[in-house]
Amino acid sequence: MLLKLAWRNIIYRPFSSGLSIVLLASSIMIIVLALLTMQQLEDKFDENANKVDLVVGAKGSRLQLVLCNIFHIDNPTGNINLEDIDFLSKHPFVKSAVPISLGDNYKSYRIVGTQESFISNLYSSKLAVGKLFKKSQEVVLGANVAKTLKLKIGDSFYGSHGIEASLHQHGNAKYEVVGILSPTGHIIDNLLLTSLQTIWDAHADNHQKGSFDLKKEIKHDHAHHHEKTTKEITALLINYSSPRAKFSIPGLVNKKKQLIGAEPAIEIQRLLDLIYPAVKVVSILAWFIFGLSFLSMLVTMINSLKDRKYEVAMMRVSGATSKIVIFSILLEGLLLSFIGSLIGLLMGHFLMSVMGVYLTNSYHYQFTGFIFNPLELWIFLGAVLIGIIAAFSPAISSYKIDISRTLKNKI
Amino acid sequence: MILTKDLSVKYDNRIINFPDLDIKSGEHILILGKSGSGKTSFLNVIGGLSRPYSGFVSINSKTIASLSKNQLDVFRGLNIGFVFQTPHFVKSLTIENNLLFNQFLVGNTNKNHLNRLLEKVGLLNRKDDLINNLSEGEKQRISIVRALINQPNIILADEPTSALDDENCEIATDLLKELSKENNACLIIVTHDSRLKSKFNQYVELDVT
Repeated sequence: MLLKLAWRNIIYRPFSSGLSIVLLASSIMIIVLALLTMQQLEDKFDENANKVDLVVGAKGSRLQLVLCNIFHIDNPTGNINLEDIDFLSKHPFVKSAVPISLGDNYKSYRIVGTQESFISNLYSSKLAVGKLFKKSQEVVLGANVAKTLKLKIGDSFYGSHGIEASLHQHGNAKYEVVGILSPTGHIIDNLLLTSLQTIWDAHADNHQKGSFDLKKEIKHDHAHHHEKTTKEITALLINYSSPRAKFSIPGLVNKKKQLIGAEPAIEIQRLLDLIYPAVKVVSILAWFIFGLSFLSMLVTMINSLKDRKYEVAMMRVSGATSKIVIFSILLEGLLLSFIGSLIGLLMGHFLMSVMGVYLTNSYHYQFTGFIFNPLELWIFLGAVLIGIIAAFSPAISSYKIDISRTLKNKI
Repeated sequence: MILTKDLSVKYDNRIINFPDLDIKSGEHILILGKSGSGKTSFLNVIGGLSRPYSGFVSINSKTIASLSKNQLDVFRGLNIGFVFQTPHFVKSLTIENNLLFNQFLVGNTNKNHLNRLLEKVGLLNRKDDLINNLSEGEKQRISIVRALINQPNIILADEPTSALDDENCEIATDLLKELSKENNACLIIVTHDSRLKSKFNQYVELDVT
């Protein structure tokens, strides 16, 4: 009965109750959205960044090097010669050094030339079906690529030059799918993997000449390729065997004038440090709306109770103790904020799923609205508490009501 | 049933004394007085809505001054039904829910009684309406139903007819008398409405002293 009373009183004033609910829901929604986005961004960054201790590539921006070769969202800084990095593979502090070579894509999914260790060691991924690439032009698909592009074993396709989708196709770069990996939740799910040889074959001519000549492309063959003296890759992904390597290897790399070494963990921290102020602005906005929603709830409750002071007096006359009156008003505040918070949480998650589709498309990362951050529970409880607090002062003034005096004021 | 002794209230720095009452169960009594004679204060003191300046009220041989605030609230809900000049209800609830709420407050679940009373005042078919959809006369009839919803043994009515036209005044007065009688409740009406004088055998007049 008291719950019914609280509910009826809320919907009896649809506009002021509605305003309070909308404000509260909006602020909760923004907070949840910021929380979920940051959480997923950090998780993705962390889990991918921690797989590699050092990225070695051509001179350029360190952050770009990391974004390009670990997260596959930026352009390469250039190429490096295999000879120049030979010393790294042999260094006693280096546990593993995995070369990768970028250059082509298929429908905006990157084709990465690399070795088997990229799959088995770096990302501990396994083949779901098929086999690993052996010959040139054979590719293994990340789970997500296979799913999204609906490719299966035996399918073949033409890759495009560059790392973004383009109309330009390699005339001879026909790839054949030989294997598909099981999902890992990491960036590897969104890559097409092939041997280094495949990339070298496709780019042997045009990279050296700096232009693209279709005639040359058709002519080039393996024999031609063997004459090349230097082979290039985009980056070398290094894992250390000893913690001491951290203090020696980057120095060794950076001493070479063609090379630069970037530590993903540091670069990502730097990037996040750049993003945080923006997130902070969004959170301040959200807290501001949260404050407004509190004020709105307070005004709603105070006005509503001012309207209802005769009702409250009449309730007391009819045998309602002060406790029941206070309880029913607090219940009303609680119900109001409960509805607002619930709508806010649901909308936050809904919007996250909608935006997740967009983010997934642009970053090739999986973003979802179907995760739950334990902080949300606290936000929810806090918001519900705010409703009770907003109801507190009207509740107390109703408690103190002088029945006979109130009823004497005829309206 | 109701016994008052040496009652007085302090109002605007002046002390108003009231006559002693001794009302037996089932009796109807009219208290007449001009405005300013303190008749509302008298009724409020009898009903335990405010404390007297001096004297005491005893209901069913229980001195109500001895009850705590909470006990008094509960006691009122169980034993006394009030009717005021302007009836106030929970505006967001329907008529039926208003009455159910009053029953809920004292733990009464007798829905038959509720329906029977509504039928009696001719408003059973309006029970799902909100209060503000009723006319003043209809509202007053509902407030009479509310006063009797928990079968109290005392009905206190403060100017129940002053805002009503002659026809509704007649209806309201008859209902008050009839329903109190049915319940064997004593009925005290305070009013300046002389239309009621002819309908009651017993009346007390308050003088401004």
